[in-house]
Amino acid sequence: MKKFFPIVLLLASTIAAPAHASLKVFACEPEWGSLLQELAGDKITVDVATSALQDVHQIEAKPSLIAKVRRADLVVCTGADLEVGWLPQLLRQSGNPKVISGAGNFMAANQITTLDKPTQLDRAAGDVHPQGNPHFQMDPYRVLTIAKALDARLVQLDAANAAVYQKRLADFSARWSAAIKRWEVKAAPLKGRKIIVQHSSWVYLERWLGLEQIGALEPKPGVPPTSAHLASLIGTAKSSNTLAIVRAAYQDSKSSLWLSERTGVPAVVLPLTVGGDAQSKDLFSLFDSTVDKLLSVAK
Amino acid sequence: MSLELNWDGLDASILGPACLAGLIVLATHVPLGKQVLSRGIIFIDLAIAQIAALGVILAHFCGVDEQSFGVQIAAATAALAGAGLLAWTDKRWPEYQEPLIGTLFVLAATGSLLLLANNPQGGENLKDLLVGQILWVSFAQLIPAAILSAVLLVFLWLRRGRLTGLFFYALFALAITVSVQLVGVYLVFASLIVPALATAGMSGRWRLSAAYVIGALGYASGLVLSAVFDLPSGALIVWTLAACALLAQLVPAVRRSHPAHIEVGKQV
Repeated sequence: MKKFFPIVLLLASTIAAPAHASLKVFACEPEWGSLLQELAGDKITVDVATSALQDVHQIEAKPSLIAKVRRADLVVCTGADLEVGWLPQLLRQSGNPKVISGAGNFMAANQITTLDKPTQLDRAAGDVHPQGNPHFQMDPYRVLTIAKALDARLVQLDAANAAVYQKRLADFSARWSAAIKRWEVKAAPLKGRKIIVQHSSWVYLERWLGLEQIGALEPKPGVPPTSAHLASLIGTAKSSNTLAIVRAAYQDSKSSLWLSERTGVPAVVLPLTVGGDAQSKDLFSLFDSTVDKLLSVAK
Repeated sequence: MSLELNWDGLDASILGPACLAGLIVLATHVPLGKQVLSRGIIFIDLAIAQIAALGVILAHFCGVDEQSFGVQIAAATAALAGAGLLAWTDKRWPEYQEPLIGTLFVLAATGSLLLLANNPQGGENLKDLLVGQILWVSFAQLIPAAILSAVLLVFLWLRRGRLTGLFFYALFALAITVSVQLVGVYLVFASLIVPALATAGMSGRWRLSAAYVIGALGYASGLVLSAVFDLPSGALIVWTLAACALLAQLVPAVRRSHPAHIEVGKQV
């Protein structure tokens, strides 16, 4: 056994050697790019595949995306089928075994429990994700859970910088927990207020802030509104002191402006992810902006 | 838009399968495009693709699994049925063939919307079918596409490129069903029309060769430029195909005796 020890050491050192070159991470969405920045700073290099103004359900294929996944040590994505239209093809095309499965493949959805998980799969229910609603970046508690799991993954892949990652996680957790308290105090007037949404992107935010969703422009997720459905929404919006009609920055404004014009309920655009408006430069300002924008119509 | 040069994507293993897909599509679409152009029915590919998609949605309703080979059968069957209908209208009302194709296109497209009113997941499938992305093609897709294209080419060769009614429409339907899933509807349209249009003034074997060269250069330069400038490949190839077609007009042999010139000459 002792004979083998130097060989093992030698092997370990050759494996560990590339770790000094910084870890290369490919993030599917800006919120995970931002979280990685918080957890690792300049110890890693991050490529973010999409922007807040894109519908992440579908993106255009560019050669650079394949090249970036090919050289990545870690892929960080939402999962829960959000990227089902392009991520599987991208991973296959990259031919990079490190990130196709195993430690180099981090799906945020697998670290938490999702809401709206259907108990039975029924096509009649609309565009439901069998793995639950994937827009969980709007729940700060889930973000914290994901941060811890992601940090552990960074430590596992890049042990040389473990101390840095652990220190940065502790720092992030402290600032994040303090920020959650601040947001919750500030957003207290929103509790119990009713909103109408465009697409079911906001269930986690609603659950967190105590907002009540009384209707959606899409009668079922992903289904375009019919005239009868819109007519019933006008009635609902007018009769129940509705706070706002909420849509994400990337979504088309037509239907929410249409309803706003007919009901006098303000239409509000929320960033949904980092970069969704001028204010949302990182995860903290994303939540600042979201709370501020909802409060601005609550007065 | 920042135009930073990006050399990472310039990798044969990334661009290779896409380039191969383009060549497979060109192989059948260049000779078919010549006929589409001479028949003056240039939007037929859009109509056939839409009908194929409608077939997939109908199959979905009948409980065919979306991943199975049954979907391909459904798409091809619907495309062939549409082709049969168009072959019949071509015989019956040849003067109205182009407006009939247009009408069939909107009927198939809106028919899909009506069928999918309560089934958006089917909608995602439909999008996949119509907007194949050239960069995502895998060898598993390329092999059956190459085999079918070879069979279609042998047919074309046996008939010496002269296809009558039903034969032309059926062959066309099968070629489109395959190519749309590989490279998407924009590239199918461009591969069909642009090389044929650029060489409209030539005739015989030389015309076919020139059209193939224009098409191949268009795909290759489009893929390389999309890697260097980090732009979506499919959209850029459409533009490089058009650019290659224009550049080809600088070659006297391609531009010579363009039909438009001859007609002008006659009038004078």
